[in-house]
This record gives sequence, C-alpha cells and structure tokens, in this order.
Amino acid sequence: MIRRFVRCVPAVLFALALISCRDQKLAESLTIVSGSENQTLEPLLQEFARSQGVSISMDYKGSVDIMNMLSDGPVEADAVWPANSLWISLGDRSFQVKQSRSIMVSPVVFAIRGSAGKRLGLDSGVVTIDRIRQAIQDGRFSFAMTSATQSNSGAAAYLGFLHAMSSDADSSGVLSLADLADTNLLAKVRGLLGGINRSAGSSNWLKDLVVQRDYEAMMNYEALVIEANQALVKAGKEPFQVVYPVDGLALADSPLGYIHHGDDKKRALFEALQAWLLTPEVQARLVALGRRPAALGVPFQPDPDVFRSSWGIETKRILSPAPTPAAEVVRKALELYQIELRKPSATVYCLDYSGSMDGSGHMAMVDAMRMLLTPSIARRNMLQNSTRDLTWVIAFSDHVLETWKMVGNDSTEQEELLRKIRTFRPEGGTDIYSPLVAALDTLASLGEGKYSPAVILMTDGVSNIGRNFEDLSGEWSRIRKTIPVFPIMFGEASSEQLDPISELTTAQTLDGRSNLAGAFRKARGNN
Amino acid sequence: MSKQILGFLVFLAIALGAVWYKTQGNAPSRVVLRGLVGGEKAGFLRDEKVLDLLKGRYGIELDWSKAGSFEMVDAPSAGLDFLWPSSQTALEAFRVKNPDPNIKSDVIFNSPLVLFSWDIVVDALVKEKIVETREGTHWIVDFPRLAELVVGGRKWSDIGLANLYGRVNITTTDPALSNSGHMFVGLLSTVLQGDVVTDANVDSVLPRVVRTIKALGFMERSSGDLFLQYLNTGVGAKPIIAGYESQIVEFAIDNEKTWPSLRQTVRVMYPEPTVWSAHPLIALSPGGAKLLKALKDPDLQKIAWERHGFRTGIAEVRNDPERLSVLGIPERITRVVAMPEYRVMEKLVQAIQAP
Repeated sequence: MIRRFVRCVPAVLFALALISCRDQKLAESLTIVSGSENQTLEPLLQEFARSQGVSISMDYKGSVDIMNMLSDGPVEADAVWPANSLWISLGDRSFQVKQSRSIMVSPVVFAIRGSAGKRLGLDSGVVTIDRIRQAIQDGRFSFAMTSATQSNSGAAAYLGFLHAMSSDADSSGVLSLADLADTNLLAKVRGLLGGINRSAGSSNWLKDLVVQRDYEAMMNYEALVIEANQALVKAGKEPFQVVYPVDGLALADSPLGYIHHGDDKKRALFEALQAWLLTPEVQARLVALGRRPAALGVPFQPDPDVFRSSWGIETKRILSPAPTPAAEVVRKALELYQIELRKPSATVYCLDYSGSMDGSGHMAMVDAMRMLLTPSIARRNMLQNSTRDLTWVIAFSDHVLETWKMVGNDSTEQEELLRKIRTFRPEGGTDIYSPLVAALDTLASLGEGKYSPAVILMTDGVSNIGRNFEDLSGEWSRIRKTIPVFPIMFGEASSEQLDPISELTTAQTLDGRSNLAGAFRKARGNN
Repeated sequence: MSKQILGFLVFLAIALGAVWYKTQGNAPSRVVLRGLVGGEKAGFLRDEKVLDLLKGRYGIELDWSKAGSFEMVDAPSAGLDFLWPSSQTALEAFRVKNPDPNIKSDVIFNSPLVLFSWDIVVDALVKEKIVETREGTHWIVDFPRLAELVVGGRKWSDIGLANLYGRVNITTTDPALSNSGHMFVGLLSTVLQGDVVTDANVDSVLPRVVRTIKALGFMERSSGDLFLQYLNTGVGAKPIIAGYESQIVEFAIDNEKTWPSLRQTVRVMYPEPTVWSAHPLIALSPGGAKLLKALKDPDLQKIAWERHGFRTGIAEVRNDPERLSVLGIPERITRVVAMPEYRVMEKLVQAIQAP
C-alpha cells in the first residue's frame, strides 16, 4: 500500500528519483506494421520483448498498404517498418512518422537456378535488364515475382525494368511521365510482364512458393534469395544464382519509424528497440540472416557461408541503383501496371449463397465485391481490373446456382455485375467443391500462359452435401495447371476444410473477417 | 509497519524539502518563450548544456516546434515569441509581409553549403582537376566544370568510376520544400551563369537548371533524412549530396564511436565560391528580444560550434577547427556569393516544380 503511494507521488519521484521504476519507464506493448520480409526477424524481436518484459506485435502488410494507411490519416500502430523509405515519403504527407532510421539494406536481385542460368549465359559477366527480359519473354524458364502494386520488391523490380528499357531515361537520367506515354516502352514492359508464370502478393510468400514449387527464377531481395537457397540446399535441391542487373538495381533500406500518440513510455520503448537493433551485436546477427548492416560505422563482415560467393553473391560490389523517379511518376507507373501492363488475370469468384450467409454474411460478401467492382475504391486499393482481365462470378449453395461473366473493366458492366451479386438471395445447403471444380474447368480451358488465373472462394460454412475434396483433387491433377484457389473466410467459417484446398492449389487461406481489404489484396496480388 | 511509516515520513520530508529548495534558487526571473525553429537546430536546442545555460544565466526556457523555413514565415505568429528560420531569404520574405521596423532580427549562426561525397569520387574529381586538396580541405575549384558534367549528362564511367551506374549527379532535397535544396539551386544557377542570377539573365540559365534538378527524380523533403540516407546507402546510391557543413560536424560529435570508421571514406567538399545558410532569429516579443541577446553569449556560440558545427554569426567570435574531430574543416570560408533574390529563386523553383 505504502509502496504504491510512494510511487504515485510524482513530485517525490521528480525531485529525488530515488526509487527505481525501470518497469514503468517503458510501455508494456508496441505494435509495428511491417513488410513481410521481416517475418524472419520475428524471433529476434521477441527476444528483445522478453528481455524487457514487454510485448511486441507485428502486423504484416504490403508496401502499398503501408503507403495508403499513412496517407489515409492517423495510423493506430506505434511504428511502421516498410521495406523502403520511399513508401513513407510517398504516403506520409502529414509527417506522422518520426525518428525513422534504416535498420538494414538488401538489394532487389534477379535469382535463377544455377543450371538454367548457365544454359542462358546469365550466370556471369555484365547482365542488363534487357538480357533478362529476352530470356523471360522467350519462356526459357519458369519465372515468379511479386505484384508491383502490392509489394516493394515487385515495385522496385518493375520500376527498374521501366528505367532500363526506356531509351529516354538513360539520356534524361531518370524515368519521366513522358517515358510512360511511350508506346514502344510500354509494349516492351508488357512483354516482359507477360512472361511471368506466377505473381505473388508478398516477398516472403514468394520465397516459400519458389522453394516448394521449384520455380526456376524470381526477382526478390538478396536476403530472401539466401533464405531460399538455405532451404533448397537442405532439401538437396539446386540453389539460385544471384544476378545484380547493372542498369535497374534497387535497394531496400528498411526504415523503422515511430508514430507518436502522446505516450512517452511508448516512445521510450520504441527508442530502446531501435537502438538495440542498431547495436553492432544485433547488426551482426542480421548479417548472419543475410541482411546487410545499416547502422552507421558498423562494417559489413559477411559470413562466407551465408553470403556465399558460389551463389553469385558479391559482398564487395558497390550497390549502385537506378535513380527513383519523382513521386507522380511512381504513382502513374503503378497505375499503368495495374490497368494496362501486367499480365491479364482470369479470376473466378465463387460466392457462397447458402442459407447461413443470409444477413451479415451476405452483406460482408457484397462489401468485398463492391471493393473490387467500384472503380474509385478499387483504384485506391490498387485492385482495379484491367481492360484485358476476365472475371467470372459463380453463385452457389448446395449446387452451382448462376454463372456470370465479364470481360475488361467497363464501369456499367461492373455496376450491373455488382447489382446481380447484391440482389441474389441466399438459401439452401453448402457444397463448396462443385463450384471450385467448375471454376478450375473454366480457367483450364483458357490455354497456357496468356492469363494469370486464380479462384477466390468466399464462404462462411462447412461443406456438407454434394461433391468432396477428392473430387477437387482429382480435377486438380487432371487439368495439370497451377491455378491457385484462395478461400476467404466469412462468418463462422473454419479453416479446417479450407486449408487443404489452399495447400493443394499453392494458395493461402485468408481471413475476411478481420481485414477484408487486406485479405482481398493478398489474394489479388497473386494474379 | 510503524517503522516503515516513520521511514516514509522522513523520506517525504526530505523530498519535499528538496523540491522547495530547488524552486527557491537564485536564478533570474523565469520566462517560457514559444517559437518555431528550422529542424537543423533541433540538436542544439536539445543540448542539455544549452538548456542549462539559457535557464541559469538568462532565466529562459523554450517551448519550440520544428517548422520549415518558408512555412514558418507564412504561418500566423500570434502567441509566438520568436521565429528561427535557416535562411536569409526566409527573413526577406518575412520582412516583406511584416514591414514593422521595430521587429528585431540578427543572424545567430552560419553554415556553408557543402557537398558530401566519398573517397573514390573525390579522388576521381581531383584527377579531373575539379577538386583541389589544400591543407586537408577539399575545395571544388572548378565548379563550372562539375556543373557541366552534371548538366551535360556525362556518366560516372566518363571520369573513371565504372563501378557507379548512371549519370554524374548531385542529389539534393526538394528545393520547393527544403532550404538546402533551395540553396543548391541558387548556387548552381550562379555557377552556370558565371555571376549571381538576376531577373535580367535568369531565362538563359533556367532550362539547364531545371533539366539538372529534374534528372534527380525523387527528392527527399528534409536535409536530415537525405544526409542519413547518404550514409546508409553509400557511394553506389548517393555518390554526392548537397548539405550543410554543420551536419557532418554534429554527426561526428554525436557518433563518437562510429565516426572513426566512417571517416575513412566520407568526404566533405567545399564549393568555391559557396553560399551561406544563415540562421537569423526574428524576435516577435520583448521575450524574443531577450533570447536574441542571450544567443549571442560567447559560451553558447562556443557550444554551437564545438558540439553542433554552426559557425558564429557574431564578428568577434573565432571558430577554431582544431576543436573538431572532423578532418578537412577549414577555419575560414572566404569565397562566398550571395543567393539570387527571392523573386528570381521563386521563378527557378516554380519551373522545377512544373510537370
């Protein structure tokens, strides 16, 4: 009692500071919105949290999400940690982010399996973006990267492509709006992006995907190529060779910045964490994880077993990136990617109209589709359809009820489709497999390589009638094509029945209840 | 239990006594002054020694917020005691809007615009006879030729730096938002013109200045952010940037441990001539005038130089570079040009901003 009283007398504390209140100077918790590439650092952060007796929670988001979040207004989280400071500069117009410091650096590189690289002569010498483009377009290997409108590594690679292929950017020094109106340039970049066999929503997930599914090449951070190689070597598979394109390299500088909500204890905790990450000891541990140090004056002392020269990693190389275009050029380039240049997507939305969806479930589903089919909302989230995209909606309950198709992004047609989705009434049992089999069938008939296909299943229930998982896996092996099925959970949905579907089809089960836009963007980032 | 209570009461008595004593010191009457300050001086105004001196000797406590130099002279000044921008041009803009001659102002500090670079780049520029090293200081003796390399779109490989991708460039902050970028545009146009740019000749130099700055693409808003990125991403990403001399001095002092290793490769280049970034304090109230006087205190000026790298704005104070651990800081900078007039600068900046 007395002790508590003493602690509560601020004048006493202030005048004499006799009582040790170490536990009271730091806040109890810190939330950080972070890029997915930092997932690997989670144990390190938790170690810090334990040592201080605090909790740190990471909320992983794409770079464009972080940019939008900052430009939308006050951010609730205590800190942001995107892959590149560009996204803070572009989004944070009200100067919310303070005390931002780069924690580590990693270049965005081209990675190709050793034998494929050797076959194509991409494993040595000076490699330009144009040589990579030719090889990708010729379809000489399977290639994956993240979506430029979802993830920093994809955006960085895409801006590098534009810079290197623009005949003018080389003479004017940097990509301009005039370049983005050059139809020759756009045709070249469209050709390159058309050679992408698989697009992913986040860099970390891309890394896992290429390891599991044996893709032959990707654009990703040097740090994540190292992680992929460690996994591949462990599995007895061929590792990637790292290629640093001379004319379109990008650096991720990984800034950790603070957002003040008036709580000085939070600030103290943030400062303690940031300072800890920048100590020579922790920087050395980051280097052991394949990151390059950013703490000033900390020399880069790579472990040759991590930064392996046999993987093509060059630790002595000066990393000389292409200049970042002006803000309005970056925004325009991202919009062009989404509506004109990316490989067109072919997406089937399987919407659950069983009886249990009536009411709030149905409303949430309609909201989700509104996000996609209302051009102004879709544009803000970089989810908009392109003129070449194909969209199907399959309404189902215990069987397929209706199938609607739409080509392109005409606003009247989108409105009409949304009206149908809104007014259709849920009733009946649930069979999620029949619509999925139909969806795979539809997408498989499109032919090879022209579209990025995906199925998005929105459901709240448990399949209890009709077809089963074996029917779906049978169809999957019959079509022999990689068409990911992303289940988005609504209402009471459980992942038990949905996880096997996403596992089978190289996708992810997403939760539409906590963050619908985020779930949608993750799914859409994949095609 | 009773022992504890007794102990506590004794403790409380001592504590309250201490508080009472503290508030009964013989310091001069205290005043809290409110103002807006350019971000470069944040380190100086957070320095305990500075705060103690202001409070102990002058009874002044400060309640300040960061603001851009041009932003603060445009903002409503009701309730403020002082403004402390980082540019003479901002003071001019203020005087145009507030012609009251009773408002006092004085330049408290100066810092020259410098170019930060790296060992291999400076070596290449020495070979090109663009830079000359005298008594450890790297002087850009042929700025017109450096400017021509940049404006003419020459590549780093043209001056023997094949490891660096792309064109010779000097990265600056956005000249519309930040003073260091603004001053670099003033200096560059003067160098390209061969004389201070005026209304009469600005059109001849304008296209070249616009092309040069536009070639930089994305520009940071804050000199501090650009400086940290320069150090973080290194010679490959930021071969040369423009900034203030005070930045490197303050950094070296704040980072005693890491500075020795950075010093191996970090280089400061002094343009000949260069432009001064002046830090005039504008007193908006009697309290502000008191601060104006206090900041000229030789002890504060000494702290400003030795701990934060600001050269004095006061004639009788000497800045001794021996006191600093940063190599290559000259004692005096004698070749200085004036910035073009506010009107001319506005024309240049607007042309750079146009799409």
